[in-house]
Amino acid sequence: MFPLPLATLSEAFTVTLNAYLYLAAVLFAVGFFGVLLRKNTLVIYMCLELMLVASTIALVAFSRYNGVLDGNVFVFFILTVAAAEVAVGLAIIVALFRRRQTVQVEELNALKN
Amino acid sequence: MTIDQLQAAAANNLWAAITPEIALGVLALLLLGLEMILPKARHSVIPACSIAGQLGVLFALALNFTTTPYLDRDTFNGLLHHSRDGQYLRAFFLVCSLLVSVLGVVALAKQKMPRIEFFHIVLVVTAAMMLLAQSANFVLLFVALETITVGFYILVSYTRSNPLSLEAGLKYLVLGALSSAILLFGIVLLYGVAGNPNSLGSTASPMSYAGVRQFLAANPDNFLASIGIVFVLSGIAFKIGAVPFQIWIPDVYQGAPTPVTAFLAVASKAAGFAVLIGLLPVFQPYAGLVAVTLSIMAGATILFGNLAALTQHNVKRLLGLSGVSHAGYLLMGVVAAQTVPQAIGAIYFYLFAYLLASFAVFAVMTHVAGVNDADQDLDHYADFGKKRPYLAGVLAIGLGSLAGIPPLAGFMGKLMVFIAAFKAGLYPLLAIAIVGVVLSIYYYFGWIKAAFFTTWRPPLAPGETEPAEAAATPVGFPAGLALGVLAAGSVIFGFFQGPIAAWLLAR
Repeated sequence: MFPLPLATLSEAFTVTLNAYLYLAAVLFAVGFFGVLLRKNTLVIYMCLELMLVASTIALVAFSRYNGVLDGNVFVFFILTVAAAEVAVGLAIIVALFRRRQTVQVEELNALKN
Repeated sequence: MTIDQLQAAAANNLWAAITPEIALGVLALLLLGLEMILPKARHSVIPACSIAGQLGVLFALALNFTTTPYLDRDTFNGLLHHSRDGQYLRAFFLVCSLLVSVLGVVALAKQKMPRIEFFHIVLVVTAAMMLLAQSANFVLLFVALETITVGFYILVSYTRSNPLSLEAGLKYLVLGALSSAILLFGIVLLYGVAGNPNSLGSTASPMSYAGVRQFLAANPDNFLASIGIVFVLSGIAFKIGAVPFQIWIPDVYQGAPTPVTAFLAVASKAAGFAVLIGLLPVFQPYAGLVAVTLSIMAGATILFGNLAALTQHNVKRLLGLSGVSHAGYLLMGVVAAQTVPQAIGAIYFYLFAYLLASFAVFAVMTHVAGVNDADQDLDHYADFGKKRPYLAGVLAIGLGSLAGIPPLAGFMGKLMVFIAAFKAGLYPLLAIAIVGVVLSIYYYFGWIKAAFFTTWRPPLAPGETEPAEAAATPVGFPAGLALGVLAAGSVIFGFFQGPIAAWLLAR
């Protein structure tokens, strides 16, 4: 199935596998540190999605360069899982906001010894 | 793909091999259907249907336990691998979900909540756990793990009228999703390097355990693969609550409804260890890296869990942190399993003893808890031995088994894991584990002391009256039977491990 018809274009404008991997690693790191450092639950949630997207980019790049299709199929599973996670997660965040009028991490400290 | 390949693939989809999982899924849908059909006054029969259905599945599984024709076979094109251990774990998770359903009936009666979804989600999560324990492919591993995790997000925050439950749900959500993302990135890295056609030992199916193992064996020092392995192990460590990924445990255990806490503590942890044991042979070429990572985690986990539990007054936090230390002992078993195959059987027996003891304690807690499930203090157990002798007896047996007091099952579990670690030569870890066990006796017996011995309380000021006690939850028939069976099991399997241990250790 490879090379694709895009081959002529890619000769003039080559993006290597490493470029995709660096992008994925940077996105993953941004998401990871965002989760650890940000204070607003919704922003944290966006950072979590960023981490999943980073994995997806790496997956598609690997799939394309290795010539194996498993990765592309896996992306659909990841998208589905992420959608389910968002549906449940936003529901929890909304329910919590109704009770506590806040979604700031530092104010959510009612659980203690 | 040609039509012949597609036909071969379809012929390999042996749906009969996953009958128990399908039965649980159908049962889960049936519960929702019954909720629509039955009038509201009759809704109390639906949990009974769920329990009866699970008993049926368990019975059928026990009948086909060793005679199933799919043993040691791959189905669904290598997505699943059926094995003895898989059969054992199927039964294990079913027993867990049965007990959670029984406890759910008791706990949900105290809340003004829709009830049926609880039982529905428990069944779906259990089916996913059973698939996870038998997976032989990273795609199925991820999807099954996420089904479990998303189900647990809902279960943890189930009492949505209680802000504590919601807070626990949010914390589990953020940290659970974080760990899933780390696990996923690890899987992607392994997939990428294993499928690279230019490298030695590259494989055409880089998502399958076999393919990754083949690549790792041919490249014993690949940098990206090492990072992938560490990421995958970290993601799993989150699920089992090993240090440094244990921060969610006390808060989530405290806020979640008690049956869900029990489910998290036993089934979720067992699922994590099932994955870990399944991945051990895959990561065998990197055994050194895996051993170092897991050994450091195990030592830190045992010490942290026991030390942090010493100061807890809330019994749910206490059990959560003691559960962290149990994960540490089990991790030591996993390290030992790299060289001593019997360690796997020891881990499974330990998990079984842990199931009996933990569910006994959690069942007692369910009966003691008031409307606010997060507020369960050691003080609530004052005079427990006199007021409710049956529950107090079960509590004492359960706690004794968790602490590893000799004639009880928990002791035998610890002994087997420690012997395996000794055979594998993990002496420093073993020393840490023994220190941990000694420490754990302090807080377990603090609880027993709170329940059985009268403690000094400040005298009442003149005009002050005794604080009104919450109405005690009576022990119903199914829960009472479960309590009795769990306590009896802890005692019997302490004296006589019999065929179960022999079967588990034979490998």
